[in-house]
Amino acid sequence: MGAYFQNIKNGFKSAFEGMSISFATMFVRKETVQYPEVNISTNKTIAEKYKGTLMGMPANSRGILDVNLSLCTACQICQKACPIDCIVIDNVKCDKTKLEDEVGNPVLNRFTQKEALKTRTVTRFDINAAKCMYCGLCAMACPTTAIRHTNRFEMNTESQEALILKFVSEEEKARAEKKANDIEAEAAAKKAKAAKEEKVKEKGAEE
Amino acid sequence: MEAILISIGLEPIPAKIISMVIICVVVLLAFVTIGGVLTWVERRISGFMQARLGPNRVGPQGVLQWVADGVKLILKEDLIPDGADRKLFAIAPYFCLIGVFGTMVVFPWGKGVIVADLNVGLFYFISITALVVFGVLMAGWSSNNKWSLIGGMRAAAQIVSYEIPVGMGLLVPILISGTLSMGGIMAAQGWLPWDWMVFKSPFTVVSFIIFFIGSLAEANRTPFDLPEAESELVSGYCTEYTGFRYAVFFLSEWANLFVMGGLTTAVFLGGGNLPGVLEDYTILSILVFLAKVSVIIFVVIWLRWTLPRFRIDQLMDMSWKYLLPGAFIAFLGQAIYMLLTQHLPIVQSVVAVIMFLVFVFVLIRFIIRVRVNIREQRIPVNSPASDVL
Repeated sequence: MGAYFQNIKNGFKSAFEGMSISFATMFVRKETVQYPEVNISTNKTIAEKYKGTLMGMPANSRGILDVNLSLCTACQICQKACPIDCIVIDNVKCDKTKLEDEVGNPVLNRFTQKEALKTRTVTRFDINAAKCMYCGLCAMACPTTAIRHTNRFEMNTESQEALILKFVSEEEKARAEKKANDIEAEAAAKKAKAAKEEKVKEKGAEE
Repeated sequence: MEAILISIGLEPIPAKIISMVIICVVVLLAFVTIGGVLTWVERRISGFMQARLGPNRVGPQGVLQWVADGVKLILKEDLIPDGADRKLFAIAPYFCLIGVFGTMVVFPWGKGVIVADLNVGLFYFISITALVVFGVLMAGWSSNNKWSLIGGMRAAAQIVSYEIPVGMGLLVPILISGTLSMGGIMAAQGWLPWDWMVFKSPFTVVSFIIFFIGSLAEANRTPFDLPEAESELVSGYCTEYTGFRYAVFFLSEWANLFVMGGLTTAVFLGGGNLPGVLEDYTILSILVFLAKVSVIIFVVIWLRWTLPRFRIDQLMDMSWKYLLPGAFIAFLGQAIYMLLTQHLPIVQSVVAVIMFLVFVFVLIRFIIRVRVNIREQRIPVNSPASDVL
């Protein structure tokens, strides 16, 4: 009989204590982080309070592709390496230049260890991030490490079109095309001149 | 309403029918809104109690979440499983809805605001809510699914067991007021807390607690939600339901929460009674009633997120070994108490005030405990022992 009343007492006591705990929780801080609005890697209050690791993705993770156009030689190897054809490159002629990094050192071709030469420039470099399967074959094949994977993975957009990453802007494209036209015109003029001189020479020889 | 329609030139009988249809639609819409908003309230409070935020995207603070959910559920395909008893399966949710919606007839919104003050109001209330168990049992039986069947059977067993303590608990207020009508029971109470039915004597307190626990079980609320125990039965009797029918089940469940709060308030907590000066303000009376109902609803939700679910044998133990004897003792005790003090109203009021003071004392104890717990929870996890002490 004692156990019977003890049960009733325990029931009320534990309900009383449990309810006080859950009521108290209502007024204590909320742990939810409103993720897309709050940037977890830069928010200071989170970084101070958080006890786990906020390092984010590991360095070798394959995120969204990025292209460093100052290193690109428009060789189109990445385009050919891509198994699902999500990279589209158009290129035109440009001045023959040796590639240099920010410091000024010459950039070497990773495979041949020779200095990388740039003879053509891209007028269109599109990567369809919606199609990309993040296999990394393009980055592996690139001789100058111009195309590489970033650690970025957040890429919500409102349409699929917005997922096509365009690395060459319209102005740059127009400029490169104009430049290429100039080069071609120059080359044509040179050729014409050379032909003329040849003709003159031939004429002179005949005479 | 009827008078307006007759004044336009309608015959009395069509006018009566049209006005009834209009009232039905209005009450049904109010009912749907209450049920819907309560889903949001419950999810939000549960979020706060678990240190989360809860739904806060649709509308300001997420208040329109229930509309979004409802639209989603209505647009879903209406699936009836292979081998199900199609007729029973289709009709079961509406039994639940009617069982809850039927209580609106005697639902005391405030002093004098009641659709029909039946002289057997409380009896009608208990009988019509028993339709819910038919719906649940039909849903469980017709789904052709083990989980549904077990859920339905559990619901039947549970509601049959808990009807008795609930009925016995309600007998004590009936004993005091001497009537079964909602209006009569409300009129037997005053607006001051010690005039409420709960605090009239120690026995009414016991009967209130028993009634409250029993009605939790009847509304299938946690800790008594065995019919739809997620961890054991997937979703119990509504496992196979989708779309609109599922929405109807859930609507009736949350509306049942409101109805249960309303019954508790009207019978035990003084309903919408106002002080004598303000008696003419019906709106105020409705507001007082709704405020009390929301407190009860909050307590019910709060209990849900505090207590773990019972096992089925514990559930039966609780009903037959604890609540039922308690209800009998409360009933007998109240009868004897009334017999002894029938010529001593001063003793009755002193006892009522003492019971109220005991309640205040418990409340203060509770607030102290809450403060202690808030202080403890403010301490960050993993902090060194020196900070904790």
